[in-house]
Amino acid sequence: MYLTPEEEKIYNGELGWAYQVSMRILTRLGELFGATRLIPIDSAHISGVSYKTIGDAPINFLEAIVKSGGKVKASSTINPSVFDPNHAKEMATSTEAIEKQTQIINLYSDMGINPTLTCTPYYLSKPADGSHLAWSESSAVIYANSILGAWTNREGGPSALAAALVGKAPDYGIHQPEKRQPNILVEVEPKLKREIDFGALGIHVGRMLEDKVPVFSGLGEYTETDLKQLGASLASSGMTSIFYPSMMEKMKGLEKITVEEKALKKAVDDLSTTSGSPDLVFLGCPHCSLNELKQAAGMLKGRNVKKDVRLWVCTSRCMRARAKKYIDVIESAGGKVLCDTCVVVTWIDKLGVDTLMTNSAKTAYYAPTLNRVKVVFQPMNRCIEAACED
Amino acid sequence: MKIKLNGRPIVPGFAQGIAVVSKKPISFLGGVDPDSGVITEKDHDLKGCCITGKVFCFPHGHGSTVGSYVLYSLAKKNVGPKAIVNVAADPVVVVGAVIADIPMVDQVDIGQIMTGDLVEVDGGKGIVNVVKRG
Repeated sequence: MYLTPEEEKIYNGELGWAYQVSMRILTRLGELFGATRLIPIDSAHISGVSYKTIGDAPINFLEAIVKSGGKVKASSTINPSVFDPNHAKEMATSTEAIEKQTQIINLYSDMGINPTLTCTPYYLSKPADGSHLAWSESSAVIYANSILGAWTNREGGPSALAAALVGKAPDYGIHQPEKRQPNILVEVEPKLKREIDFGALGIHVGRMLEDKVPVFSGLGEYTETDLKQLGASLASSGMTSIFYPSMMEKMKGLEKITVEEKALKKAVDDLSTTSGSPDLVFLGCPHCSLNELKQAAGMLKGRNVKKDVRLWVCTSRCMRARAKKYIDVIESAGGKVLCDTCVVVTWIDKLGVDTLMTNSAKTAYYAPTLNRVKVVFQPMNRCIEAACED
Repeated sequence: MKIKLNGRPIVPGFAQGIAVVSKKPISFLGGVDPDSGVITEKDHDLKGCCITGKVFCFPHGHGSTVGSYVLYSLAKKNVGPKAIVNVAADPVVVVGAVIADIPMVDQVDIGQIMTGDLVEVDGGKGIVNVVKRG
């Protein structure tokens, strides 16, 4: 790999260990995947934050980076944590977990990273079309590439952090135009009506794609939420990091897979593991947009959440501030709008939750194993119906 | 006897130690106890085996990228492997070996190495020598 004289100096440790080890990570990965150089990035998004998911393992390394004076060179954000500090009690977060989680967040903050604690950094600051990024968090990566036209590989937590510190990423994979070209056509026969149809389609197709780049035909009319759900689930069941929602002229003659009506129905049905009534209803995976909060508020206006059901709506702290009037409606109905966190990265099993209801295919896919709960997978309106009194 | 195995250099450094050889990929997050270096991964062929001070040979890593940090923690607590030999290096293990400064070579035919063998790893040249059969 070619390094500029300045990069060479960093590699040799002239700027200290934090930058040296970061440069070594980037060059080794670059060589592994055939990069010939590093390219500047506009931003980094770093996973590896929730104490439930990562435990104590990263603390030693993050401490060493901070001690060696590591500060990020690229604008950087981080993924959700285990708790919302304003709702620690309701979330049954232990004192130990609060302490450890706070320590992890502080270490990232000490590096100059914005403690955004969200999986939807693109709602805070939208990357420009064609900008190069080093993002981890698979749902954000696929959103950035497919919906915003940004260019990022599916980084892991450590490589995104290294790229943030150096301000550059190795030039391979999705950073190269030919690797972004679609090479498989996914023809969808049934009409997709609800966000959960898009989510279930993603889980179903993601399993078959391996690392291929899909282009869809037959998605019909879709919203931004529909595409967010499709992307998040494609990236959950598979390794996909970019998709195209509709055909373009040049995409003729591709290998083709067809999704029939019964396959989609089965994909939707399979994401529910029970038809029982939920004790926790969860919206906001990935974190809710302004529009989703507006929709939820519209459905909750004048209603009351049942006494024995929790309704959790997760979003970023920044979105919460922007959506105050919708938040007020959701909370007066008895729902909780939680920031900095989500159900999947927390200990809902400690709250005695047995059955979780959600409109997120990604959550429905992970929760039975990661949270050891039963799942009901239904669209937002059904979720809210189930949460509210008649 | 001495068998020389050529591979690809990943992390420079020289190490000599007893080999622990696995046929299965490993997830360092959840698969290796970060305090003791003992393999805890369910259904793993080396479950219960300790990799501390050993030359750890396995096909490749899998699972969460947090696994890289686990390798760092193992090394800082002096319970990490002396060297890593892989068939096909994956990003999680490569990053882990880089940050923990553990000599590493990949593209090695680990079928030629047996648990208990005394081996030398030259991470800079990408060479693994089996010095003595265990």
